[in-house]
Amino acid sequence: MMDQIWFPISLTLWVAAISSILVLCSGVTIAYVFARRDFRGKKFLELFMTLPLVLPPTVIGYFLVILVGRNGFFGQMVFDVLGKGIMFTWQAAVIAAYTVSLPLMVYTAKAAIEAVDREIEYAAYILGKSELETALQITLPLAKKGILAGLILSFARAIGEFGATLMLAGNIPGKTNTMSISIYSAFQSGNNELAEVLVLILLFMSLMTIALTDKFAGKLEV
Amino acid sequence: MGIKVDLKKQYSKAEINGKKGTRKAFMLDISFEMKNELVVLFGPSGSGKTTLFKCISGITQPDNGKIIVGSKVYYDKDRKINLPIQKRNLGYVFQNCTLFPHMNVRKNIECGLDNWEKEDKEKRVMEMLNLLHIEELETHYPSQLSGGQKQRVALARALAPKPGILLLDEPFSALDMEIRTKLAEKIRNLQKKIEIPLLFITHNLEEAFLMADRILILYDGKAQQFGNPEEIFYHPENLHVAELTGISNIFDDAYVEEYDEKSKSAVLKSGSLRIKTKSPNLKTGDKISWGIHPENITFLSPDSSPENQENNTYYAHMNNIINKGPKKRITLKLVKHNKSLTAEVPAQYVDSLKLHVGGFCHVRLEVSKVVAFQRL
Repeated sequence: MMDQIWFPISLTLWVAAISSILVLCSGVTIAYVFARRDFRGKKFLELFMTLPLVLPPTVIGYFLVILVGRNGFFGQMVFDVLGKGIMFTWQAAVIAAYTVSLPLMVYTAKAAIEAVDREIEYAAYILGKSELETALQITLPLAKKGILAGLILSFARAIGEFGATLMLAGNIPGKTNTMSISIYSAFQSGNNELAEVLVLILLFMSLMTIALTDKFAGKLEV
Repeated sequence: MGIKVDLKKQYSKAEINGKKGTRKAFMLDISFEMKNELVVLFGPSGSGKTTLFKCISGITQPDNGKIIVGSKVYYDKDRKINLPIQKRNLGYVFQNCTLFPHMNVRKNIECGLDNWEKEDKEKRVMEMLNLLHIEELETHYPSQLSGGQKQRVALARALAPKPGILLLDEPFSALDMEIRTKLAEKIRNLQKKIEIPLLFITHNLEEAFLMADRILILYDGKAQQFGNPEEIFYHPENLHVAELTGISNIFDDAYVEEYDEKSKSAVLKSGSLRIKTKSPNLKTGDKISWGIHPENITFLSPDSSPENQENNTYYAHMNNIINKGPKKRITLKLVKHNKSLTAEVPAQYVDSLKLHVGGFCHVRLEVSKVVAFQRL
């Protein structure tokens, strides 16, 4: 029983943490480019980025399977290099979590970056700072509240991810059974006791997230 | 050393005002040279002042032309030079506070000194803090500063890297008059000390005259007149300049009846009115406009000399008197000539001369203050 509880918790936290780190790095970069650059096809890309927010997770999962499955473009590449597939591993769970939570980060961070006064950035350029220096020393620190909000949202979304994860990583006990998946399968197999414990823990974790957001948001008042 | 600007750039007023919808395209087409002096750019909003600053600083690129500051070519369309904004080495203080809110005053000033040795950097920051008398604010954050303090810090930050030119875009517009005047004087003295070209944008006429070595008047993207404050004030070259410098009494029905080349004095005929003035560059027969600043109309005591066109004295009826605090604004009608004028006089004269609505008086348009300029 303890193992049935601890493994899903640690796996979920691990998957959500890795996914959130990836989301932070790539999401903020994408958000900065969307907020500060104009290029052809930007509108289309922005719409494309929104898709995971509105598509059913199973549909996202389906597309991801096509992409990272043994015959998929990405899956085949990994197979050629590592000699094993990604499907049905914890890494697959990370990919699923990353895909569904990235848009949350991009949109929150983009709004926060856009809210930074353009003239403050120009002032930095005029003082000799390059665009990268300005982004790292001025823009992103000033947008940190929004970025942090995006990070917490993405983390919460990654913890709760179910549909795409199930399709991509499956439900392999001791390997890919994250909390949401464990709750589903415990409930399906009539193990209500386990389902209830996991539900309570997930509820507690969500409350913690909200509390943290509140605490940080208060602290980060500039 | 000095700067040389000759550029063209299309811009739209709507973009400048930040309003969407009515987008009317204008062409900034301007050419001027200045030395290490303080030049005030004066003009209504949308006349291209900020666009000019953006071109000089490199925030936007002109469509055509040249910008040379000292020995540095910032921009030259023909030679395909467009120096990156980071390499222009200029100081820019924006209208709104652009201090970095997450850095204290010291860090803000240090921002432009990334490549300096640590010791030089510290020394320079101290110099700047002393120069602008903000030593005690060193560890404060921008949110803890007053409006005037913020702009002084912004000035310190702009001056720290020893810029080759300083651009100030209405830096005081958010401050109250008292601090404004003090800072204006401060900047004027600073410019004399550091000897770099300084361009200063303002909407405030008094500020313009208080600070400028020379004033550049802009209207609809074109330079209208470039000269010292006296010239601009008493010899406006056209209607735009006259209006912008506060001449509210303007008549464009006049011609030069007589002109004496030696004394530069002229007699103008405007309807039935004959007015004397002193003005260079007129010719007998010129069709011109004339005007006078409201404060250059003198009220004579009621029992003084009668109407005398030799010294521009006329009999007038007072239609209205408006209180403007220390001054009163009086609307007059020159009885024999059917012309309306607005005058501004210190409030105490209104009482001592017993001026009142509906009454009559004699007014004199000071000969040396009557301005004549080309019609548009």
